[in-house]
Amino acid sequence: MNEQPRTLYWVFLGFVGLVISLYVLFPVFWLFLASFKTQAELAQLPISFWPESPTLDAYKALFSPTHQKGQLLDWPQLIGNSFFIAISSTVIVLVFGTLAGYAFARLNFPGRDLILGGLLISRMFQGAALLLPTYRLMSMIGLQDSLIGLVLLYSAFGLPFATWIIASSLREIPKELEESAMIDGASRLQSMVMVVLPLATPALITASMWHFVGAWSEFAFASILLESNDNKTVTIGLASFVELFTLEFQYVGAAATIVALPIMLVFFFGQRYFTRGLLAGAVKG
Amino acid sequence: MGSVALRNIRKSYGAVEVLHGIDLDIKEGEFTVLVGPSGCGKSTLLRSIAGLETISGGDIAIDDRVINALVPKERDIAMVFQNYALYPHMTVAKNMGFSLRLAKEPQAEIDRKVRAAAEILDLTALLDRYPRQLSGGQRQRVAMGRAIVRDPKVFLFDEPLSNLDAKLRVQMRSEIKELHQRLKTTTIYVTHDQIEAMTMADKIVVMRGGHVEQIGTPLELYDSPASVFVAGFIGSPSMNFIPAHATGTTLETETGMPLGETPAPLGHNQQVIAGFRPEDIRLSDTGIPAKVALIEPTGAETQLTLRTDEASVIMTTRERVTQTPGGLVHFSVTPGKLHAFDAETELTLAGARQ
Ligand SMILES: Nc1ncnc2c1ncn2[C@@H]1O[C@H](COP(=O)(O)OP(=O)(O)O)[C@@H](O)[C@H]1O
Ligand SMILES: [Mg+2]
Repeated sequence: MNEQPRTLYWVFLGFVGLVISLYVLFPVFWLFLASFKTQAELAQLPISFWPESPTLDAYKALFSPTHQKGQLLDWPQLIGNSFFIAISSTVIVLVFGTLAGYAFARLNFPGRDLILGGLLISRMFQGAALLLPTYRLMSMIGLQDSLIGLVLLYSAFGLPFATWIIASSLREIPKELEESAMIDGASRLQSMVMVVLPLATPALITASMWHFVGAWSEFAFASILLESNDNKTVTIGLASFVELFTLEFQYVGAAATIVALPIMLVFFFGQRYFTRGLLAGAVKG
Repeated sequence: MGSVALRNIRKSYGAVEVLHGIDLDIKEGEFTVLVGPSGCGKSTLLRSIAGLETISGGDIAIDDRVINALVPKERDIAMVFQNYALYPHMTVAKNMGFSLRLAKEPQAEIDRKVRAAAEILDLTALLDRYPRQLSGGQRQRVAMGRAIVRDPKVFLFDEPLSNLDAKLRVQMRSEIKELHQRLKTTTIYVTHDQIEAMTMADKIVVMRGGHVEQIGTPLELYDSPASVFVAGFIGSPSMNFIPAHATGTTLETETGMPLGETPAPLGHNQQVIAGFRPEDIRLSDTGIPAKVALIEPTGAETQLTLRTDEASVIMTTRERVTQTPGGLVHFSVTPGKLHAFDAETELTLAGARQ
């Protein structure tokens, strides 16, 4: 009886979604297409949408390090650095976030709930306001222009939220499962590894994805802390491309595509866990 | 192998003491049921024996060895939880074999023991399933299977049947009892259901407010309850209680109606609570007059609610009832079936069979 209005509602919603997606995705897609065009095609008028004779020249140029306009562009190095930073800090965040999350979920200590709430609040004090103090701090301890320094910094930024997500989801796992495991002969560590963590997989994956994407795409702190060419990351490389190649847009397109690719892959493979993990966290805490 | 001794067990949560000194001896192979109303400390006591709670005082011994300081896995016990606590990410076989895997037994041995336990519990066809694919009764059996593959000294059950529907509960009750008769492993079983306690136990421990109220076989508790509380808790329908006093060797209600001979020598005019079970009442030509308020046939027996000037009295009879609601009857208590409890302490002054 109210079948008709409901269908209409969904059609309308779908339409709105489509318009928004197009609006957001069009420039991204255009950039992606541009990466397959030649210099000449980009310069010609009228502008063509699809590449007339698709070419991988821009990608080839990116992967054969050359001096362009007096600057060394070594994308394999940039990609390697970014992967190193993102993966290392994700591993750190995952290991310590799990241990801390477990403690928040299972152990009783004074101020537990206050600190857990505080973790979430600490997320509000991030970003630009911290740039200068962080730079001073990192210089003081000699960790500016160091990949390890950035790994530690990202881990410190990422840990509170990861801990919070993991703690929230561990709280949902019945205590009796662990008690049962302990009666079955498990140590606390065994019961955590063999019983609790397999059940917390969605939250662990969510926390990892969240952190990996953030670390991979972070720009502000990387750009003020990293100076030498050997240490730069993909986001810094991309930013310098935008300045360097105002006309040769195929390079910018190719670089942007490469930067976006890991993020897209992460979401593609992780999205079914992602929503579950966030929802589990959302119910409690 | 498998005797349990509790000496003056105390347990506090913060400033609140919930177990006030529990003493209990359980013989090897005995099926002991801890029964009492919700919140009386049954689970706390069971979990203390398991080592999941740290006791605040007293000693727990298994086979004369004090185990207070041991972690659960060193106590050689197995526990079945109310919500079964099956590992959701493991198959039935993995669930049952988990303890053996942790004990690093060879895989072939694990398989053999799991299959043997599955055979006993009729779980063989379900070994490759996951807990979410099982019915409540099947989960319950897997939880028991997980306990029996370990061949522990003591089985602990915490209200294992309370999540099942009534019919399944009766069936699992028999299965657990049969299993015990077969394995003869010492068992401590917690329930708030007195019928479960009566039907399953070798020995019942009635608890109330963190104390042991009475310990005995089901029929000892039924025939000679130590207090008004036990008398009212064990048996269904519940024992009838009427305020009374002794006149010579006769127990009389407050309005002077004779209930019967005093079950024990009482002081003249001593105030007591008289108690008698619904099946120990006879309708007769003489006796206490009452009005039939309600007649509830259940088939095998019929339950009558009789109303006197002083109280409501429940009576059950296996005879066919000819009375009609509103009719006047007289009833009396079967001689020798009268209990008397102190009006102040509510403890027994004796009564019925000793
Ligand atoms: N972790 C706890 N913290 C504080 N009080 C508790 C805790 N566990 C149980 N209690 C209290 O101890 C008493 C006994 O509880 P429990 O042993 O679960 O009772 P039962 O199993 O007989 O229903 C109750 O009053 C309960 O509120
Ligand atoms: Mg309980």
